[in-house]
Amino acid sequence: MNGEIFNANPTVYASKRSARKSKFEAGQSLWIDEQYQPELSSESEVEPIDEDEIFDLIRFIADPEHPNSLEELRVVSAEQIKIGDNHIMVEFTPTVPHCGMSTLIGLSIRVRLMRSLPQRFKVDIRVKPGSHQSELAVNKQLNDKERVAAALENAALLETLEKCLEPVGGPNSR
Amino acid sequence: MTTAERLVRSWMASEKDSEVDESVAGISSGQLTLLDIIKALGEFLTSEEDRLRTKGEHIAHLSVFLFSVIAGVEFLSSVLGRCPHEKLNRQAIRVLTTFYCSKLEDLETIIPALNGLSYLVKFPNIQSAEVKDILNAIFANVKMRALVQSTRFFVFSIVNSLIASHRDTLKEMGSAFLAAYVNLAVGEKDPRNLMLAFAIARVLLVEFDTLAHTEDFFDITFCYFPITFRPPPDDPYGISADDLKQSLRLCLCATPAFGLLGIPVFLEKLTAGSPSTKRDTLHAMDTCLPVYGPAVTRELGKKIWSSLKIEIFQPTDPDTEHSALNTLQVLLRTMHADKSQDAVGEDSITGLAQDMCSECMQTLKEPEKSQARAAMKVICAFARANGPLSSFAVLQAAELLIRNFHDPDEVSNRAPVVILLTELIDACRGDVTHASVSQSSQSTLSPLAASKDALLGLLIVSLKGPATCLPALHGLNALVRTPKLVADDELGYIVLEVSELLRKEPDEVEDVTMDTLALLSTIAGIAPHHLSSQTLPILFSFLPDVAPSRDAITQRASYWRALSSLSALCVQPQLFEILVVRLIAKLDLLCAILPSRTIDQEGTAAYAHAILTALANTLDVKVSSKDVDVPKYAEQLLPHLFRLYLDAALASSEVVAIAADPRLLQVGARIIRLVSQTLNVAGQEKLVAAVFAAYTQGDVKLITGGLLNSATPFAPLHLNASPRQRNSFTLFSSTIVSLRKEVRMPVDNLSTFLSELVAWSDSPSSTIIQREAASHVLASNVNKHVDDVSDFLTSQLEGYSSSALKNTSIPAEARKNAISTWISITRALLVRSHPSANAFINHLFELLDDNTVDWDAARAIGLLASEDVVLTKRNDAVLKILHVQKYFNVVMPRLLEGAKGSRRETAYLVALAYLINAVPKAIYASQMPSLMPILLRGLDLVDPSIRSHIINTLSNNIDVTSADKDAVSMYASTLVLAMLKNCMYSEMPDPGVRVAALKYLALLPGTVRYDLLHPYKTRVLKELAKVLDDPKRAVRKEAVVARTNWYKYSG
Repeated sequence: MNGEIFNANPTVYASKRSARKSKFEAGQSLWIDEQYQPELSSESEVEPIDEDEIFDLIRFIADPEHPNSLEELRVVSAEQIKIGDNHIMVEFTPTVPHCGMSTLIGLSIRVRLMRSLPQRFKVDIRVKPGSHQSELAVNKQLNDKERVAAALENAALLETLEKCLEPVGGPNSR
Repeated sequence: MTTAERLVRSWMASEKDSEVDESVAGISSGQLTLLDIIKALGEFLTSEEDRLRTKGEHIAHLSVFLFSVIAGVEFLSSVLGRCPHEKLNRQAIRVLTTFYCSKLEDLETIIPALNGLSYLVKFPNIQSAEVKDILNAIFANVKMRALVQSTRFFVFSIVNSLIASHRDTLKEMGSAFLAAYVNLAVGEKDPRNLMLAFAIARVLLVEFDTLAHTEDFFDITFCYFPITFRPPPDDPYGISADDLKQSLRLCLCATPAFGLLGIPVFLEKLTAGSPSTKRDTLHAMDTCLPVYGPAVTRELGKKIWSSLKIEIFQPTDPDTEHSALNTLQVLLRTMHADKSQDAVGEDSITGLAQDMCSECMQTLKEPEKSQARAAMKVICAFARANGPLSSFAVLQAAELLIRNFHDPDEVSNRAPVVILLTELIDACRGDVTHASVSQSSQSTLSPLAASKDALLGLLIVSLKGPATCLPALHGLNALVRTPKLVADDELGYIVLEVSELLRKEPDEVEDVTMDTLALLSTIAGIAPHHLSSQTLPILFSFLPDVAPSRDAITQRASYWRALSSLSALCVQPQLFEILVVRLIAKLDLLCAILPSRTIDQEGTAAYAHAILTALANTLDVKVSSKDVDVPKYAEQLLPHLFRLYLDAALASSEVVAIAADPRLLQVGARIIRLVSQTLNVAGQEKLVAAVFAAYTQGDVKLITGGLLNSATPFAPLHLNASPRQRNSFTLFSSTIVSLRKEVRMPVDNLSTFLSELVAWSDSPSSTIIQREAASHVLASNVNKHVDDVSDFLTSQLEGYSSSALKNTSIPAEARKNAISTWISITRALLVRSHPSANAFINHLFELLDDNTVDWDAARAIGLLASEDVVLTKRNDAVLKILHVQKYFNVVMPRLLEGAKGSRRETAYLVALAYLINAVPKAIYASQMPSLMPILLRGLDLVDPSIRSHIINTLSNNIDVTSADKDAVSMYASTLVLAMLKNCMYSEMPDPGVRVAALKYLALLPGTVRYDLLHPYKTRVLKELAKVLDDPKRAVRKEAVVARTNWYKYSG
């Protein structure tokens, strides 16, 4: 990176608490006590991958410029994720329209999802329409398999990426 | 030959310590004088001229001579070092001084001479003339750079001792002494010497007139800043970097004269240094600035501020930022130290402080930006710097932010404004609590007092907005915690407005319930009456009199939300009383015995259960914080509960009795246990008498406080009692387990009682909760009254073991239950290290050979080492320390042997897995290498709980010691393959095992050298890709972590 800072003073938002509903809150059990509604052992039940889970994967990625997570800078949000049949669409919003880090941010989202989702999913990553001056170029770069693969061959770039991807499961993970 | 001569000669020949000892003893007893010894030494020390002339031409002789001189001076110095101080008169000291000073001229004798002088200067009889002679001789002859560390140490100790005892003489020597000393000290590098040099420099700077030598002293102190010394691993002197830093800092802040010279050095180090240097510099500035004084700091203040600004606005790390803010506060205080405190006007504030403030105000105009947070930190530093400064900055900032809040163009930035104001309020409170009592009691109101109304209004308005609600709650919390700021009626107003939030359905995105409750709890501590009149009614209104129907999900959610809120708020005694009364009334309605099934039984039971849980949760908090009002609920709450439950227990099985539900009984038992724990001996005796009357004699009047009159006999311990009555035994048990040792059971013979209880629990109709209740009573009584139950123990060992435990003619189920009973008795003995525990354990080992119950026995051996709820400190159990270790040391060798090849090795393996999982890892860490193969073998067992126990054990131990790392490395490949197998959905249906295996896989890359596992990397990544599609969310989450770690794993 050339040391230029694209947005020296970004707006920082509070990060939301992630809370899945317990079975009582979801109306699946009458009893408030977890003990009477076994959690992990109901083996037959399938919990499909949903938007929240995708969001949990990418929210803690570190911004390349600031000591904040993508969630805190509102680069990604749960509402910007759509999940269809084996297809996932992730939209992200660069903090400023001329942000030169957009490709890197997009790439880090791409790599995190590549490593963390089953191969059956097709993932599309896009800049939020109208939020970046070279929107098309960034989108093209991020969704081109060859270009992504080529980028990952670059050792220096990969190192920067790994740094962004360092916090895996948020502050409370090992 | 005199004694002295003899000693001297034999020393010259042998250099043995015994001669020194003998000389010292001689001097002490008065048989010898030091002068005798000097005379005796004379021929070795003084006749050099002759000898040189006669024998000087022979190099060999010369060296012999030199040796004898050095040895002679050494001998003298050694004797002197241990000679009693009063044995040397002035004259002797005079002689010795002259002698040593003359020896300083000679390079060969300088070392022992300095050594001798370092002893000599400690003698009280030394006079100022000698002091001067010594110092002058040293200054004239000693070339520090030519000497080794230990010799330089003598020089520093000499100066140090003289400073301690002859300060006035040194002052007389004046400038000459100071200049010469600086010359000695310059260039010193050894940490041990520096410790002395710094101490000397500090005294000189503080007590001597060093003004003319300021630059010299600056050179010999500031050149060491910042200290980067790191002690060698086996440092014999034990000097740490911190010791050096401390004593250097004392020099740096010794004189105001350093100010103009020193501050630029600090600023240079601050700009260029590493984070730890920065912090060190900032700490040094904290101590130095107040000494350097207001004039200097004002002169250089601008430069200091611009350096600090960088550390605050572009912080390297939070620690440094914090230190910089601290230094800023010191700077502000110092700059204004000479202004009188009474002058409140703005004219007392320096231009620089005003500049700082206005700079921050500029930044605060964009409150949503991250720089605004930093600016607010600066303002908070102002706020903490007390006096006019504080109110000057706080008023400006508060005014600016309040204006910004009300600006229609800035509506979107209200949340950050409120956050910034909250920080300001917190900072102002810090100031008030910090000030001394006398000051705060009358004059200093919070600087925010003037803007209080505006703030309060603003925060209340913010409560209404979804984005600003959360920050507003924090702001209000900060406000109400500020002493003497918010009046009582204003608190009432806050409670009124905030309580409204509880009425609303919580927002899906921003749930503020927790923070609302935190604020209300704060107010509950100050003014509970507002809550009881305004908040509680709202919450109670969410509790319907009948349980919501099955499909009314939102209603159910809202009653539980109300209950958890009540439970969080009503910890305060006054509110708790209200809570108890209201909830009991509610329970009475819900649990009324009904002749027909007109209501939804399970729904009602779940609702009642929720109410009881809320009550129990609050009690739990109160008991943990040792609230004194808990015991009175033995009278006010327990009779109601007993009435509720016993009424239901007595009801015939045809009618609906909600309180007979075992799940409700469990919570009830929890409440009873909590209250019973807090009672004193008399209270517990009263309670236990009442429960015994009810449960053994059927007299329920006492325990229900006369509330229950029943025609049906209450006899739950009778062998053919109804299931409802039997279930209610749980309540009895919960009363017993928390009894103190001093409380006796009101029975004639405790052994008989316990034997009857075992029989009751073994009855074929008994359920698991009944058996558990019985075993709790057994465990508690055996543990606390072991001497009264020896008959019972004997009958168990001799009769029960063969009639139940090993009786192959009874059903396996009955034997398994007998094992459970056995565990509770054994553990009760084990935790108090009672000798008879071993006999009980042996019976379990015998069962390992029994095909029917071997796994149960194996599990039992592990369970004996694990914690349980009954035998705890809170329940006043008799616990011996290290009982787990003792048990482990007895059992482990037997298990290891059994697991190695007996025909029952599986059972031993299972026992081993359970045992290791139950004990703290420190107990078995050293045995890990030999356990490894056995544990790996255990991974082939089918039982999922064994597998997850083993994998958890492996995970817990992966990072203990380096020795263990080797153990892991040795089996690394086996482990990888085993874990891959265990994390696949297709191979391992139990999700718990899959999670454990994935966690272990995630740990491996951090532990094992890359080259050992390189061959597996591709395979692991490929296999884990499949696990990413696991049906369980928790499993997928671990798979992501594991796979990421393996991606990053490289050589």
